[in-house]
Amino acid sequence: MTRIILRKLFRAALTLFLVVTFVFFVLRITGDPVSAMMPDDTDPAIMEQLREQWGLNRPLGVQYAEYWKNLATGDFGNAYRDGRPALDIVLERVPATLKLTLTGFLFILLIGFPMGIAAAVNRGSAVDRLIMTLSVTGFSLPNFFLGILLILVFSVNLRWLPAFGSGHWYNLIMPVITLGTAGGAVIARYVRSSMLEVLNAPYIRAARACGMSERAIIWTVALPNAAIPSITVIGFMVGALISGSIVTETVFAWPGIGRLLIDSVSSRELAVVQTIVMMTAASMVIANLTVDILYLIIDPRQRYGTGSGE
Amino acid sequence: MTLETQNGHCEEHLPLEIDRMSITLGHGAGLRVVDDFSLSVRKGEIVGLVGESGSGKSVTCLAAMGLLSEEWQIDGHIQVANTHIDRTTDRKDLLSLRGRGAAMVFQDANASLNPIQKVGKQLTDTVARLRGVSRSQARQTALDLLRQVEMPDPEERFHSYPFQLSGGQNQRVMIALALAGKPELLFADEPTTALDVTVQSQILNLIRKLRDETGMGVVFVTHDLGVVSELCDTVAVMYKGKLLERGSVEQIMTNPQNDYTKKLLAAMPALPHDDPGPSTPPQSKIADEALLRLRNVACDYKTRKGTFRAVEDVSLALRTGDSLAVIGESGSGKSTISKLMLGIEPPSEGSALFEGEPVPLLGTREYKPFARKVQLVPQNPYLSLDPRATLGDQIEEPFVIHGIGSPAERFVRRNELLEAVQLTPAHGERYPHEVSGGQCQRAVIARALALEPKLLICDEATASLDVSVQARIIELLQDLQEKFHLSLVFVTHDLRLIHGLCNRVAVMCKGELVELNRTDAMFANPRHPYTRELLAAIPDVLSQSAAE
Repeated sequence: MTRIILRKLFRAALTLFLVVTFVFFVLRITGDPVSAMMPDDTDPAIMEQLREQWGLNRPLGVQYAEYWKNLATGDFGNAYRDGRPALDIVLERVPATLKLTLTGFLFILLIGFPMGIAAAVNRGSAVDRLIMTLSVTGFSLPNFFLGILLILVFSVNLRWLPAFGSGHWYNLIMPVITLGTAGGAVIARYVRSSMLEVLNAPYIRAARACGMSERAIIWTVALPNAAIPSITVIGFMVGALISGSIVTETVFAWPGIGRLLIDSVSSRELAVVQTIVMMTAASMVIANLTVDILYLIIDPRQRYGTGSGE
Repeated sequence: MTLETQNGHCEEHLPLEIDRMSITLGHGAGLRVVDDFSLSVRKGEIVGLVGESGSGKSVTCLAAMGLLSEEWQIDGHIQVANTHIDRTTDRKDLLSLRGRGAAMVFQDANASLNPIQKVGKQLTDTVARLRGVSRSQARQTALDLLRQVEMPDPEERFHSYPFQLSGGQNQRVMIALALAGKPELLFADEPTTALDVTVQSQILNLIRKLRDETGMGVVFVTHDLGVVSELCDTVAVMYKGKLLERGSVEQIMTNPQNDYTKKLLAAMPALPHDDPGPSTPPQSKIADEALLRLRNVACDYKTRKGTFRAVEDVSLALRTGDSLAVIGESGSGKSTISKLMLGIEPPSEGSALFEGEPVPLLGTREYKPFARKVQLVPQNPYLSLDPRATLGDQIEEPFVIHGIGSPAERFVRRNELLEAVQLTPAHGERYPHEVSGGQCQRAVIARALALEPKLLICDEATASLDVSVQARIIELLQDLQEKFHLSLVFVTHDLRLIHGLCNRVAVMCKGELVELNRTDAMFANPRHPYTRELLAAIPDVLSQSAAE
């Protein structure tokens, strides 16, 4: 088992390296921070001097090597504008984003699993059709649109909830719904289909023949088995949450990483962008690692290395 | 004889009473799967419920367990262990019936246990629920049950997951689960069909022993009359949802009244007993030189835990006109032997020679000419045919691949081939799902014969077919062997199939060739103890009825 985990860790490190490298070059090829920052009529000599100062006029390869050298000492670079360490700038935004994404994650699971189970158990009934219709609507709605809709209804018209701000728990309600609806809808469909598959398995019939009640079968036999394929999708959800949080934070003026990223890309704060990208890539990698390890815990067949259920 | 024991108000009820039951799929004028069926089971009686697939055996059991979903409509009277079952039966009564009144074991034990829970926990939970005892008591009982079903190392197996156990061991766990609630009646739905013969005979003995110990009634569903004659007290024969015949085992085996039962009995492959002479294939046409030769071959498979030797030091030769049976249980290496002969696996040691040349590996350039001489008939015809092409097109395909003949000539050849396997040109226009399993397998054989190969390798070619169909395919192979001067390798786990078809037999055990013999000699005087064990484990109609 340790060997499996070590191999996965190595792959994780490789992924991080590739992402950071890709972003480093793409950012530098597509635009220059100095011209993005200074007014158009700035004296070219001053611009050149700034480039010189930030080391932007050196060959890309040299800059790249320098970047890794600094990273090795824990130096993520400084923001051009105010000279503060990029890491500090990013870290102070992390709690807000964590609050949003973790609540969103919980929301996804809390609507996805119960709805999927309810639909599968009542297959073909009105409940099933209603849930599936809601699900299609849920993941067809673009989240920025859903966010704006929520603001229009609950903030502008009904005046029940604030359109922005992050100080209170109720500030979270609309952003979390915006962020989690699509994910919850997808999870509901996955849970439904894997529950349906499991409910047709011979061991469910055998459990019934042993006099197990339908409720016990669903919760103690079917659900743990159906959860195994659903976990993969939950891993993907983390990625969707991160990208979704960028949009959501923008719509609700949420002071998190997502908004910082948008701002930093447009102002070419290379160090900040790279730090954010690296952190999101790392959290993706960690999420997938967690999923893999969860697999090993839930599914004994994986643990003993026999692959199939034969 | 269904109701005579129920005269007046006897205090003792029967474990199972079914009277004039009909089962329909779908409401109104749906598909009638069981029609006017009656059956009763006394305490301690083992009733064999026999019929081909689709005859309604399993549905009958599921109906009696109240396990059919609402799209099935059940009419008539069913009483199981004092519980009357119909659409109005309370859900609670059904729940308390299942496990306590009647229990059921299924064909595929590996798939019938929760794959992610240790068998000990599954047993403990079931015992605790059905007997209403404490966890620690339930645990003790669970262990006792594992001992009762003669599980090897029960304490250790208690902590195993189903995937860590063999099919036979899982079936023991299933039976232990069924016993957890001390049922009056056990439905066993083909519980040994997926198992090897030696394991099958252990499970049959176990069921008999448990019947003696607990006095429960047993309904044993099977298509194998050999199993019935070995295990059951009475037999009920089902055909297309109807009860054709009911009687004691001796009655049915020695003096069947119904034509279908007679046919079923005649189709049963049986071991030769007194007269092995006439049905053994003629030896005269067999040439001296070897067509195919395995010389000290070994074959390794790579697994995560290192290499696994599937076949060890096997040498055998097949002469032109020979037909060789390769016999063995699952895991014996018999399929690996066929893969070595076909060049699907390369030998890790030794060599496989065809007409003196090494067998080329599948996918190499030398394979194409080799494929014209050696062909395979695999187990499941539906899996070896393209579901989206007609049988005829698939029979023509070898001609296309090898660029033989014009389209018109191919069409003529295809119809000849269809006739050779006793199909009609009309079958050539059909798709695999439009014909039966037996007809499909005939088409596969026709396709294999298209290139007029010298050697036909049949890997469990009849294992997924019903008994009567199986018998006709064997006849066909015998016939074709004569007509096409074929040499044959027939890989099977069923010793009963080979006599009359194969003149020589190779018995595989755990990757080794333990006996290579003439077929009649092997049956008359098996040399190796394992062969004797195999022969003894086979449920056999003739020996049983002769003994009685």
